[in-house]
Amino acid sequence: MDERAAVMLLLLLLLLLLLLLLLLLLLLLGGVGRRAVAALLSCLLAALPLRCAGQTNLKSPQDIQVYAVNTNFTLRWNYTGNDTTVTFSAEYRWFEDFETNEAEWKELPGCQNVTRMECDFSSAITEYYDTHHVRIRAERREEVSPWSSIFEMVPYYIAQIGPPGIELQSTNGVIKIKVSPPEANQVRKMWITHLSFKYNLVIWKNSSDAEFRSQSIFPTDTIDDLAPDTTYCLKVQATLPLELQEGLFSPVRCIKTTHKVNDLLCATNVSVLALNMEFHLHWNNQYEHHVSYNVQYLMGYLKKLPDDYSVKWLNVPGCENITDTQCNFSSIITTISGFYYLRVQAMNEYNKSCLSNEVKVDPLITNEIGPPGVKVDISNVLLHIQISPPGGSESEVMRDHYDLSYRILYWKNSLNNEQEIKMKEIKQTIGTVSDLTPSTLYCVKVQAFSKVYNKSSQFSKEECIKTPGATFVTALVVVLLVAALLGLALYQAYNKIKYVFFPSCQPPLNIKGFEGQPFSSLYESTREEPTEKCSIIEISITEEVNQIDFKDHKHSKQSSRDSGNYSYDDDTSGIKVSEETLEKEIV
Amino acid sequence: MNAFGLIQIGLILVCTTTISSLQCNHLPLQQRKMIKNSLQLLDKMGKKFPQHCLREKMSFRFPEQVLKPRQKDTVKVAVEEIFQHIFYIFSKNLTLAAWDGRALEQFQNGLYQQIEQLEVCVIKKKTHYFQSKEVNRLKLKKYFQKIDCFLKDKQHNLCSWEISRAEMRRCLQLIDKVIRKL
Repeated sequence: MDERAAVMLLLLLLLLLLLLLLLLLLLLLGGVGRRAVAALLSCLLAALPLRCAGQTNLKSPQDIQVYAVNTNFTLRWNYTGNDTTVTFSAEYRWFEDFETNEAEWKELPGCQNVTRMECDFSSAITEYYDTHHVRIRAERREEVSPWSSIFEMVPYYIAQIGPPGIELQSTNGVIKIKVSPPEANQVRKMWITHLSFKYNLVIWKNSSDAEFRSQSIFPTDTIDDLAPDTTYCLKVQATLPLELQEGLFSPVRCIKTTHKVNDLLCATNVSVLALNMEFHLHWNNQYEHHVSYNVQYLMGYLKKLPDDYSVKWLNVPGCENITDTQCNFSSIITTISGFYYLRVQAMNEYNKSCLSNEVKVDPLITNEIGPPGVKVDISNVLLHIQISPPGGSESEVMRDHYDLSYRILYWKNSLNNEQEIKMKEIKQTIGTVSDLTPSTLYCVKVQAFSKVYNKSSQFSKEECIKTPGATFVTALVVVLLVAALLGLALYQAYNKIKYVFFPSCQPPLNIKGFEGQPFSSLYESTREEPTEKCSIIEISITEEVNQIDFKDHKHSKQSSRDSGNYSYDDDTSGIKVSEETLEKEIV
Repeated sequence: MNAFGLIQIGLILVCTTTISSLQCNHLPLQQRKMIKNSLQLLDKMGKKFPQHCLREKMSFRFPEQVLKPRQKDTVKVAVEEIFQHIFYIFSKNLTLAAWDGRALEQFQNGLYQQIEQLEVCVIKKKTHYFQSKEVNRLKLKKYFQKIDCFLKDKQHNLCSWEISRAEMRRCLQLIDKVIRKL
């Protein structure tokens, strides 16, 4: 309570001070000054809720809105007062070149002293991209209301796209439509890039339970996929996708489709097959008689222009007056950037012609990449893969536009089908694979692909190559050993023969004396010589026995080891042992 | 611009994409190639800039800031808009320019393909961008309006076309620099 009282006191004091000042002024000034000051005083004395003299109780208009279609601007507002003699006047200003400098308010032409709640100020708006401010007030005789709140707008963003014009023609079961853009014949346009319009068609059957079909159409287009002898109603709107703007729909037009004539002359199933930038058009012929074909093409952008493009179709060179149902049109694909449309004109001997459906070709997307060529080479433990890019002469174009990479698949081609397929992706045309196991057969196949276009070619043929391995080395060793053994065996045989047939020492004279006696019988006779079993002195016997045992043991040992017969020639036994051991080693 | 309107736009665009490819990964590569190609075609179209046209040269002041914002998608939308304007300019009455018709056709065809692809790919992705009415885009529109008016005032004579061609060349070179960084 105390605070409030204090505030009130302060205010009163201020008022008193002001009054004193005004009195002083009154005394000092004369005439006009006095009147103005008097007015001001009365204002102050009347206190805040009351209006001052010269101000009225006219309310300012509210809810200002601007409704704009193309270049027509309409200002609308609400007025809560019930006085019918009130008129309205508006002002505007705009900021040039996007600066927020102070611009002066000007009278808004077309909105001066209006009695209705709206006015057309289109003539004032010339700069469609500048920010404009608009304000309005009510007037009655001398009284004026305060200005309304400022309405800020950029004409371009507030304007709506007007309705386009439509021309229809019904022929052969289809509807041919020609759309003229909004502001078609206007000098001053809001939408200067009228080529950027995308037209949206809404079409439905003129029956009770019709379903709406919506599709995007070119300024000159054909609506097919319709039932013959039926009435369809349609409307079109122009849109600017980049501005997220949808225009107003044209008035609804209804038209009846005609009977559809199925001309057997026409080419059907028109399709494109393209491999490595070689483009071929294929179609079917339903007509048995003489038909000649003419393949025509149109550059894609022509459909976007408002001019009639039907006269702009050109013949594909090399495919004029042909009887074959296919055409190579690679020659017309001069730029990789850009669409093309293709169609087939069929003509019979009576000069009757028929045009097929159109097919759209986007070169890089329609084209398929062919398989690359592959060559393999082995060096040490590295497998070298040389890839020849697909396309031959066109490969440069493809590599440039597709940003081609290559996918290499390689695996061990072993007999027990456990193939673990490994993959490697490279950008160059030469690849190497390491970490190979020796002496195995490796097989390789390569595929070209474009990651960005999501296209991949067929795989190339498989190329196989065997890695050099230990088998080679071991084979070499085996051969050497066998050779060595053979050499040894030959040497031994030579020695034996030499010993047997060409002895180095002479037999004793007494034996030599026995002429005609065979050597072998002498040999045998010594063997068969009976021996007497004698007991010998112990010491010498044990030694001999030990020796004999040793020998026997040796023999028995030998017998336990090998199953074959063993010879008892002292000379040869030692060598034989070594032979056996060698053989065992080899095994 | 209410929500239903937005849905309708969305439906329109979905319908158009059924014809064209929905895949957009190849767009940056294709765009770079197309711009390189377009610059070559622009040079091929006509002869060297005639000396006598220099005095008619006007400064149009391309708003370079429009290609420098922080967001990638903002730049893509600006590039799309520039392509549309260039396409529109070169579709006008070119008889007095006496340029190579084939080069011009190929130039327009390449531009048109890019415009279509961008419409499908860029607009599909970021729709909330358009709600912010950037000043830079308005500046861009003013720039092209100036060129349009200039051509009209000069009645599409040779010099006005040559000046416009040089200007468009500059535009494309700027775009080329920018998209390489994207």
